[in-house]
Amino acid sequence: MGLVLEHIDKSFDQFRAIQDLSMEVKEGTIFGFLGANGAGKTTTMRMILDILRPDRGSITWNGQDVRTVTRRNWGYLPEERGLYPKMRVDEQLLFLARLNGLAKQAAERELNDWLERFQITSYRKKKVEELSKGNQQKVQFLATILHDPLILIMDEPFSGLDPVNANVLREAFFEMHRRGKTIIFSTHQLEQAEEMCQDILIINKGQAVIQGSVREVKRQHGRNVVRLKLDNDAEASWLDSLAGVQVTKRRQDYIEMQIQADLNPNLIVEAALQHGGIISRFELAEPSLTDIFIERVGAAAQPDAPAVLSA
Amino acid sequence: MSQKITETPVSAPPEQEQPQAVTVDAGGSRLQNNIRNMRLIIVREYKAQIRQLSFKITTVIFLLLVIIGSFVPTVVQLITSHNKPQQTSVRVVNNAGSVAGLDNASLSRSIGTILNGASTSSTPTFAITVSSSDELASLQKQVKDGKLDVLLVLERASDQTLRFTYYSNSNAESDGNLSQVQSLVQQLNALDKMHRLGLTQAQIGSLYAAPNLSLVDVQPKSGQDTRPESEIVAGYLLAYAGDILVFIAVTLYGMGVAMGVGEEKGSRVMEILVNAATPLQLMVGKVVGIGAAGLTQLGAVVVIGIGAFLLQIPLQSVLFGPHGGNLTLSVTSAAIPVLLFLLLYFILGFLLYATIMAGAGALVKRQEEARNAVQLPLMLLMGGYIAGEIGVYYASSTWMKVLSFIPFFTPTTMLVRIAGGQVAWWEIVITIPLMLITIALCAWISARIYRSGILMYGQKPTLRQLVKLMGR
Repeated sequence: MGLVLEHIDKSFDQFRAIQDLSMEVKEGTIFGFLGANGAGKTTTMRMILDILRPDRGSITWNGQDVRTVTRRNWGYLPEERGLYPKMRVDEQLLFLARLNGLAKQAAERELNDWLERFQITSYRKKKVEELSKGNQQKVQFLATILHDPLILIMDEPFSGLDPVNANVLREAFFEMHRRGKTIIFSTHQLEQAEEMCQDILIINKGQAVIQGSVREVKRQHGRNVVRLKLDNDAEASWLDSLAGVQVTKRRQDYIEMQIQADLNPNLIVEAALQHGGIISRFELAEPSLTDIFIERVGAAAQPDAPAVLSA
Repeated sequence: MSQKITETPVSAPPEQEQPQAVTVDAGGSRLQNNIRNMRLIIVREYKAQIRQLSFKITTVIFLLLVIIGSFVPTVVQLITSHNKPQQTSVRVVNNAGSVAGLDNASLSRSIGTILNGASTSSTPTFAITVSSSDELASLQKQVKDGKLDVLLVLERASDQTLRFTYYSNSNAESDGNLSQVQSLVQQLNALDKMHRLGLTQAQIGSLYAAPNLSLVDVQPKSGQDTRPESEIVAGYLLAYAGDILVFIAVTLYGMGVAMGVGEEKGSRVMEILVNAATPLQLMVGKVVGIGAAGLTQLGAVVVIGIGAFLLQIPLQSVLFGPHGGNLTLSVTSAAIPVLLFLLLYFILGFLLYATIMAGAGALVKRQEEARNAVQLPLMLLMGGYIAGEIGVYYASSTWMKVLSFIPFFTPTTMLVRIAGGQVAWWEIVITIPLMLITIALCAWISARIYRSGILMYGQKPTLRQLVKLMGR
């Protein structure tokens, strides 16, 4: 169950923003929504939140139309941050939490708790416009979660954060995850998605390109990659003549190659030893999401290539 | 990289959320929820508004204006009472012998009657002394020194005509006594000539008797304006002032609403607000909150204004003695209903225009553009205001009647008609539901625009698009 989108279409005038998009977000998971700028991530999120309405298709949460789901179950962090610039941090957050149905005392308790956790207690009486961008982002995050929603929809929550603040926010993500929240977030930092998400969806030009669990996606794109470094033979030109092996990169620190699925990687080690190589690195690597993203989105970006996908 | 996946807690969430936690709004709690949310929004808007620097500045300016305004009459009185001596001393040097057959004593009385009128006050405005040819040089010096205000010398020419010489300390343009002296001289001259022509006192008296003039007003009197003159004048003044007040206040606070919506759009806070509250809640909350802030400001101005005005009575009695003040605090019976209607039509007018302006504000991208977006409703309001100001003189005309039933113009024009005192009670009563229905309609349309305008950050929408948006 969880959140299910079925055959969603959405057009703005002539522009088809979303085409036949289907996806499923299981309850209690972290779901990564990946795509280039303008791919349709924000539009999809707005449709989930019933800010926009799809032209066709249905969006349900545990079988119930999202339009009828109580609003306070949703927490939304918009891509372009939205807070009252001249309102104090504490007043602002209390206002939003209470507007989302929280009682005053509960809202205050939650606020104190989270300000502490984010180490921004000293900013509580400050106006939002006086805060740094990173701290504004934290406040925005609090505005999203303070009323204890079930489903968090976050549009680029990590953009513009320094590594320290990004880590604080990452911890908060896991905390929400531990509390059983369903989290959908968009990003174009694929490594982050790889690290945090159970399931992902890559969207391009309004169409789903790949979706599924991170592991599954990788396995499906399982041309195995081998990284090899020989201390005494940086070039290892003999690799080029090895059957079933194709060298893709020769870097200072290693040589990267793709091997056929049925090839036993031990053969490469044996061949290296035969050539008298001293092995300082041998690694079997799955392709990173970045590789897959560039490969699939790059292909789908071709005008003639219809992006059909399967996951 | 890949091994990190396992770090993610894939395990099932520890606290199993019960599925029924997600429920549809129960019908009964919807109204409660509406009221709760609106109250929260109203309080936020009210606080945000009164904390604004521009709001504080306008409040201070308004208060200063009303305080200064209420002190003006007293100050003017103070200045004039200091400038002008209590009495104007008039010295007449009669070198012409008997004037109009009168000796100096009778002449002095006649001049007194001409200058002071029939007043029998112990300290008349003009103090007259009549004497015969003496110390002209020293009297002229007194005029020069300001000890004597008017020095009039009477002589007789060879053809027996009177010749007058007026010595004054000021030139003709700034001489406040010149006109009185001129009319005095004219009358003395005429009296003297009549006497020399041999007219009797009775004949002279009949010449000066007031002509028999009767005034007939041919203007048809529709209705019966039986109110005393002072009430009618007070009504007109109130209508004028009320019209201006409604116009300024609705413009000011209506703009505040449009700017507020523009701010929410510009800062994108709207995107998270619509998740928490309905567009109608947001709009009503904003309109009422800012309206309440406006009423607070007006209330402060009115209270301080009345206070400062009342302060003038003891102040004047200190400055000018117990009966010296000429301030009359006359709140006539006609003024009170006009004031109440002023409040009523201010509130209705504000609600109407503020809802329209909220919708207009929802169409803009940034706060700065709100000013342009409200031009159409502002023009409507301006039209009503001008009609009201002109209508003060045509309170019973047909076009004023028609305009006063069009809700957009009702606040300004009906107020004027009420002050004119020619409105049947049912006419007033009927405008209230008319306005309320229009407000509800405008609120509904604005809420639709609000709902769709949230995400409109592109160019200006066409009218067709607007209609389409509302249909969503």
